[in-house]
Amino acid sequence: MQWIDSSHLSLGLFFVGLYGVISQRNVIKTIISINIMDAAAILFLITANLQPGSVPPIAGGDPSRMADPVPQALMITAIVIGVSVTAMCLALFIRMAHRYGSSDWEKIVHRVED
Amino acid sequence: MLIQYIPTLYVLVLLPVVVGAMGYFLPRRIYQGVLLVFGLAMVGISAVVFYEVRVLGEVIEHVAGWGESVSISLRADELSAPLVLMTNVLFFAFFVFNSRAPYMDNTFQYLFMTLQCALLAMFLSGDLFNVYVVMEVGMLAVCILIMYKKEKQSFYDGMMYLMINFLAMAFMLLGLGYLYRITGVLDFIGMHDKIAQINDPRALVLPYSLIMTAIALKAALFPLFSWLPRAHGAPSAPSIISATLSGVQVKVGVYLLIRMQWVFSPAIDASVFFAVLGFVTAVVGFLLAVSQKDIKLILAYHTVSQVGLIVLGLNGGTPYAFWGGMYHIINHAMFKGLLFLTAGVIIDHYGTRNYAQIRGVFRRMPWIGIAGFAGVLGITGTPLFNGSISKYLIQNGLQGNLAEIGMFIVNLGTVLSFVKYSTMFFGKAPDHVKPIKDPYVNGVSMVIGFGCLAGGIFGAQAVQLFFGQSYNLGGALGAEKLTMFAITLALGIGLYFGVVTRIGGFLQRVRDNKVNFNQVSLLIAIFFAFLTAYLYLTV
Repeated sequence: MQWIDSSHLSLGLFFVGLYGVISQRNVIKTIISINIMDAAAILFLITANLQPGSVPPIAGGDPSRMADPVPQALMITAIVIGVSVTAMCLALFIRMAHRYGSSDWEKIVHRVED
Repeated sequence: MLIQYIPTLYVLVLLPVVVGAMGYFLPRRIYQGVLLVFGLAMVGISAVVFYEVRVLGEVIEHVAGWGESVSISLRADELSAPLVLMTNVLFFAFFVFNSRAPYMDNTFQYLFMTLQCALLAMFLSGDLFNVYVVMEVGMLAVCILIMYKKEKQSFYDGMMYLMINFLAMAFMLLGLGYLYRITGVLDFIGMHDKIAQINDPRALVLPYSLIMTAIALKAALFPLFSWLPRAHGAPSAPSIISATLSGVQVKVGVYLLIRMQWVFSPAIDASVFFAVLGFVTAVVGFLLAVSQKDIKLILAYHTVSQVGLIVLGLNGGTPYAFWGGMYHIINHAMFKGLLFLTAGVIIDHYGTRNYAQIRGVFRRMPWIGIAGFAGVLGITGTPLFNGSISKYLIQNGLQGNLAEIGMFIVNLGTVLSFVKYSTMFFGKAPDHVKPIKDPYVNGVSMVIGFGCLAGGIFGAQAVQLFFGQSYNLGGALGAEKLTMFAITLALGIGLYFGVVTRIGGFLQRVRDNKVNFNQVSLLIAIFFAFLTAYLYLTV
């Protein structure tokens, strides 16, 4: 079971999300799937180059055992971005569902007026 | 000089949002006065930066004095400085053009400036994570701006744009993570240096294809372009937004393509792949453009085609083709911006988007007609106009290759779709259409139209000015250019009236063929899988 490490786990999660985006016709489910992909990428970056037994990079700890602080700082930003874009997607989904009366991509595409 | 005393690049990136936010609560008239001064200042600052880059070499600024590849840095070099100058000049022109439009309220102007800030930050950022962040910011601003008039299917257009780009950015984030794990830095120069020391290039295949999938989607390469016409040709998008998106925003994808290819260049070289992809994109783009009836969609699909041409040039393998591609980026920003602006005005006054119902633009609105026609002449590569220079460079760079025949086909397609587009300039105008009195609209259109002409007549000087490369371009009216253009034009007109006008049923079926979100995602996955497989076989 050596091969189950965080990078393979996050890669697996990423492709689960990608499968969801391709296969789900429900708009909400596709939004959730993209979020899974986003979370997988964040998990990957946080655990990149992580040594076993390292401590969080907080002042007062032993600097030689601290985990790499750069990905953690970056991923806070990425999480915030993910949340705001998801909120925007959901808000737009409400407007779209009211207008076309469906949450199915395939039905909506035929009801869009051109 | 100036740059030694104040952090000019930071001012360039932060000024739009700061001015936009501070002036937001002012009355509209005063706000516009502030923005006029601001726009001029932005043009001035970017001209100074451009000058310094050309004379003194690249400018790098680090936050808080931290060292190289540790701090967040902004960089202006010979690749990004002309693009920054182009962005600021066009944003200023678009702002003046639109200053009397009814929907131009404070919120709109603030969002427009946020977009400007995001675009400038993308060009100037020296660090991949910053690029990721500002791409998301720009994506949200664009999403709101293309829905701004809330007409017809605007929410669907906005939703598709947002979801597809959000999906692509997830690819980018994972690729960035991979690259960080391998190299330990996020700075472009630092990554380039670290990649040069890696022995096994296969370790880089996955990050490369993840990042390139996202960038190819941003640059709207085949088969990932289906979001572009929806966004750029959206009925609810004001015409300056369409012009900005087609003129400047797509170029961010092309710019990042060059940048990331350079970063990976010690290990992976996929320029053949991208050259072929550029050609396919160019052909598919014009085929779809010819089949459209909506004039904004003709232009939007044509952006796809021209981006393909630019990517073909940049990956052509010779300096001629590369700088031709770079010059075409600037030229395309000018004439496509101009075409979208004039098309927006024409749609507003005629009340229709169908090319067959628009006639007599020359008679009813002569200034717009002349300016729009200058744009058409530019994009088709008519001698004396700017498109001819960059296309000549690309064509010469590809000489002796199959790609040269490809270039001819692409050019023919351009002429073909713009014969269709140009039919609306002639004939007799319907009576309900009123002439245009707004001096800003006419003035700005004419100025950009003259810019297209000047970029052709002084083509060699322009290439020298922007990129510092001096080439003999055989004069603006060289015999070779004239014959080539005459042959292309004759074939284009013949094909249009002989073939295209007779296959209306087929074109209707092409137009009815719509893809939904799941199919777009599938295309993204296929593109990613294909690129990965190609790289594993060749690297």
